[in-house]
Amino acid sequence: MMRVEFFLFIAALLFAIGCVGVLIRRNAIVILMCIELMLNAVNLTFVAFAHENQSMTGQVFVFFVMTVAAAEAAVGLAIVIALFRRRLTTDVEDASLMRW
Amino acid sequence: MPVQLLLGLIVVLVVFAVVRAYAPERTLLAGVVLGLGALALLAVDSRALLSLEFWVGLIGFAAILSALLVVIHPNPMVSILFLIVNLFCIALFYLILQAQFLAALQIIIYAGAIMVLFLFVVMLLNLKTEVGLHVAGGPQRWGALLLGAAFTALLFHAIRGRLDQAYVESGMFDSSFGAARGVGGLLFSKYLFAFEAASLLLIAAMIGAVVMAKRKVR
Repeated sequence: MMRVEFFLFIAALLFAIGCVGVLIRRNAIVILMCIELMLNAVNLTFVAFAHENQSMTGQVFVFFVMTVAAAEAAVGLAIVIALFRRRLTTDVEDASLMRW
Repeated sequence: MPVQLLLGLIVVLVVFAVVRAYAPERTLLAGVVLGLGALALLAVDSRALLSLEFWVGLIGFAAILSALLVVIHPNPMVSILFLIVNLFCIALFYLILQAQFLAALQIIIYAGAIMVLFLFVVMLLNLKTEVGLHVAGGPQRWGALLLGAAFTALLFHAIRGRLDQAYVESGMFDSSFGAARGVGGLLFSKYLFAFEAASLLLIAAMIGAVVMAKRKVR
């Protein structure tokens, strides 16, 4: 069997890629996708540790993370649609009304 | 040796991608040559195909590559398709890590429901490919890359510390671990309150999404 650390390395890389994506992309939909990427990396870590400890609690947490991801995606995309209706753009630079 | 074979196949894939990006007219030639090379590699070491390390490494490579493409591709539609590839790779990891139920959920919920939502919104808004790659300018871009590199280094350092510990084989294989029965049992006993709270969260999100995306709010 593989060592758990291999999966942790993959998850760390995926999380960093998603993190950089959120910071450098300006398209709101791509930013939401990068957040999904980060949540998935965390899920992979949870499952890897659940496997290592032979405890299913980690898998239950993945279930809840998936629920939160679904809710977040639905609300986030609704906001993108509302933004697009008003401004005809999905660029977060143009949604600066509440920016300091 | 599965690791050498894996590295060879990764080099083949990367060379093909570079040729395709910078000399599109040579794509067919490069594909044929590199495909024959990959077949030769596999023929030399066909036993590696039976090893778990080889496949896990290949899936990991695919996951990292598709995640990178999600971030750097200018067309949001292609980004979504690569994110689906990434989710499938992670579902395969779940299977390897004895989380069968979660692997099924991953494909049904993520690839089946959430990504369809994304696809639907991109099609609804009819987004065009960005001209160039529209990324944050100047300090934010370099700051983000620096931060990502530093964060990766930090995490890798933390995980490497664990590698010094001796590896303990985790008991005998229990086929019921990670099945729907066990996860569901925990969900409906110990985490019942969190489960109900999650249902409340989903209803709130649904109402919020409908109100937000409605054409006119009165």
